[in-house]
Amino acid sequence: MLRYIALRSLVALFLVWVVVTIVFLLLHLIPGDPAELLLSQGSIAADPQAVAALREKMGLNAPLWQQYLSHMAGVLSGDLGASFRDGAPVVDQIALRLPRTFEVILGAALIATGLGVPLGTWAAIRADGKADAVISFFASAALSTPVFVVGSVVILLFAQQLRWLPAGGFVPFSEDPVEHLKLLLLPAGTVGLALLAVITRMSRASVLEVLQRDYVRTARAKGLRRGTILRRHVVRNALIPVLTVLGLEMGTLIGGTVLVEFVFNWPGLSGYLVSAVDARDYPEVVGIVMTISILFVFLNLVVDVINALLDPRISLETS
Amino acid sequence: MSPAARKLILPATIIALIVLTVLAAPLLPLADVRAMDIPHRFAGPSGAHWLGQDEFGRDVLARLIWGGQASLFIAVGSALAAAVIGAALGLLGGYFRGVVELLTVRAAEIILCLPPLLLALLVVTILGAGTWPLILALTILYTPNYARVVYAATQQVRGLDFVTAQRAMGTHPLTILVRTILPNVMPPLLVQMSLVIASAMVIESGLSFLGLGVVPPTPSWGLMIRAARSAMEVAPMLLVWPSLALAGTILAFNLLCDRLQSALDPRSITAGGALWLRPRARRATAAAMAAAAADKAPLLEIGELSVAVRELELVRRVSLTVRPGETLALVGESGSGKTLTGLAMTGLLPDALHVTGGKALYARRDGGRIDLAALDEDGIRRLRGDEISMVFQDAAAALNPVLRIGDQVAEAIRAHHALDAATLQNRVVDLLRHVGIPDPERRARAYPHELSGGQRQRAMIAVAIANNPRLLIADEPTTALDPTIQAQILQLFAQLKRDTPEMGMIFVTHDLAVVAEIADRVAVMYAGEVVEEGPVSEIFARPHHPYTAALIASVPEGGSERLVAIPGAVPSPHAMPQGCRFAPRCAHAEARCGESVPEIARPAADRITRCFRWEEVA
Repeated sequence: MLRYIALRSLVALFLVWVVVTIVFLLLHLIPGDPAELLLSQGSIAADPQAVAALREKMGLNAPLWQQYLSHMAGVLSGDLGASFRDGAPVVDQIALRLPRTFEVILGAALIATGLGVPLGTWAAIRADGKADAVISFFASAALSTPVFVVGSVVILLFAQQLRWLPAGGFVPFSEDPVEHLKLLLLPAGTVGLALLAVITRMSRASVLEVLQRDYVRTARAKGLRRGTILRRHVVRNALIPVLTVLGLEMGTLIGGTVLVEFVFNWPGLSGYLVSAVDARDYPEVVGIVMTISILFVFLNLVVDVINALLDPRISLETS
Repeated sequence: MSPAARKLILPATIIALIVLTVLAAPLLPLADVRAMDIPHRFAGPSGAHWLGQDEFGRDVLARLIWGGQASLFIAVGSALAAAVIGAALGLLGGYFRGVVELLTVRAAEIILCLPPLLLALLVVTILGAGTWPLILALTILYTPNYARVVYAATQQVRGLDFVTAQRAMGTHPLTILVRTILPNVMPPLLVQMSLVIASAMVIESGLSFLGLGVVPPTPSWGLMIRAARSAMEVAPMLLVWPSLALAGTILAFNLLCDRLQSALDPRSITAGGALWLRPRARRATAAAMAAAAADKAPLLEIGELSVAVRELELVRRVSLTVRPGETLALVGESGSGKTLTGLAMTGLLPDALHVTGGKALYARRDGGRIDLAALDEDGIRRLRGDEISMVFQDAAAALNPVLRIGDQVAEAIRAHHALDAATLQNRVVDLLRHVGIPDPERRARAYPHELSGGQRQRAMIAVAIANNPRLLIADEPTTALDPTIQAQILQLFAQLKRDTPEMGMIFVTHDLAVVAEIADRVAVMYAGEVVEEGPVSEIFARPHHPYTAALIASVPEGGSERLVAIPGAVPSPHAMPQGCRFAPRCAHAEARCGESVPEIARPAADRITRCFRWEEVA
């Protein structure tokens, strides 16, 4: 087991290194001088002297490999550099905004698993029946509707027409917890709907598969009650692939909440990234992308380890 | 046309309609998408503008159709480009493996380390917004998906005989890849394609919505939704139309993908869930019959029992009797109905199968007699695992992989008896010791995969005898085991018989040597019928049915000098012979055997045979 975790961690570290390097290269090799970009206003060209001075100050004149080495050294010591735009440490901004993005994702995951697993199980039990048809259709429809469409429609419905909830914005939890949660509800619900569809479909397929297994017949042969068989034998085994998918989806969401944060004016990490990319703010972009990919890889690692714990066969097969 | 293929018609038609409409956009009498009409901004539907006008007074319907063209062009274009590149990488990686695999498939997979929208965002912001950067971004994004799918499919196909044969003949690898492997990996490629188109539309519209995709004034669904948001209070329908168009198109592609998948891979449609889980009465519970059990009354009396799937009879009018303490062996080839007979006794028949006639009278512990075949799910559940229990063939599959052995034994007891934790734990350890599992305290905490095959079967037996059953049904319990382990498990069954002299046992097997060792009586089954039944020693000494005789003769160490294989094969249930079912393969068959069904004959008081010429069979 420990060997398995160690091995997976090594692979994960390697992947993080690859991603950080690729992002670094991508942003440094493309045309466009950030110093010039920063100093120019509209169509007025920047003063060449000022540009040169700024390039020197930003360390852009050093050879690429030197920039790369100092960048990596910084990363290892937890220093992601200062923003080009306002000189503030990038780490601080990330630390401020990441939890907000996490809030949305966790809220969505709670909604999705809480409803998706029972719904998917129900659909599987009633496979090919009316309940299954209805659940499966709604899952497909929810999966097919982009989050910004759901978000916009939800605002139209709950904020504009019914006026139950605010249309968007952000209030820190410490200032007004109730308002904070009210504001969280719509973005989390919007992301949750798409995730719910994924979890429902996955649970349905997984339960159907497990129902065909011999050990379910054994459980019946023991004379166990329906509920016990479902809980202990069917759902427990069916959950393993569902959790894998949930973990992978949550990883994707860390960088994928851009649209939801935009629609609901939620000041999370993704929105910050969009503005950073827009301004060609290298330290910010590299810092955010690295944070997201580390989290993404780390989450996949956690999913694998949880899987290995849930299914004692896994760690044996791979080692 | 198969039902799965018929289900393709709906999504395929919708997609065809959408594609045709947007392709025909230049030909349709649509208003100019850029013609502004500020005085009539936000105007509702009218004769000239069926869906009304937007914030600049432009025609919504025209923009919707032209917008669809932009979205579909980008999505389909990038899906095709990614398919070509991804398929090439996957084919090369899957066929050559090694370094090539590292450079193709594994390299492409690095892209999967980045969240998709993030990657698209990066590419588009570096290259600027617009149609072509979008296509490039989406192509990069989806290449690894195709590479993975094609890689997996290639690996499967590459091991097949016809590919090996071509390699052996010296065909150039590229020729093999294009001519032989590519057509074989097309199905998963098609499924992936419809999935990618749907997913590419989501990302394209998302980026356009953010203002990073299609550049205005070119219409696009994402842009239309973006614009409609700011006018939501004035004209909510402006938001609804493009939302519907976008979600509807994506839904159609997703549906197509789902149904393609089930049409191309019939295995993926598992037959309708599990009927036993649905809370409904299958049949009224038969009232327990009067307790008039005499001393020598049989434990189980199966009479004329039939099992069928729809109109197809798989087990036909089987009659068997098991007395307390007696072991009855059910012998026959695969497909003879012996396992189904056993499953029918515990109500565990697969969903599609039903008992269509006959009865199975069982004498309960309290003396009452009950018809097992007439019980509903809950009625039979109370008996299952308590009075009647089963040992299955493949213990590795029959034990739950994620539960500890001890827990799996304990839940069998708890299903029928309320015990406190300590007593339960002691009972579990006792049971495991009883079935010969060494160090039972520790093994109780082990998972099935941590035990050997023989120990797993022992654990399975411990589950079955946990509640001291009166009837034990063992379905080929030694078939999946090594010969030495087989002998040990048989010894365990013999020991169980000695320890619990009142327990009746039905032992399903195809192995006559096992029958001789364990059983008191034997019933030989052929094509769903019992063809001969009687005491083991008498039947082995003097069979009265040609099939039994042939079976005995085909056993290597059966005591017979000649080793004879039975010619032909078991008839399919679709094409049962009219008369005697064994007649086509029988050395003794004559005219009447092919015409009429032989009645049951009784060569001795406790023997039956289903043969016209039993007296001549030696």
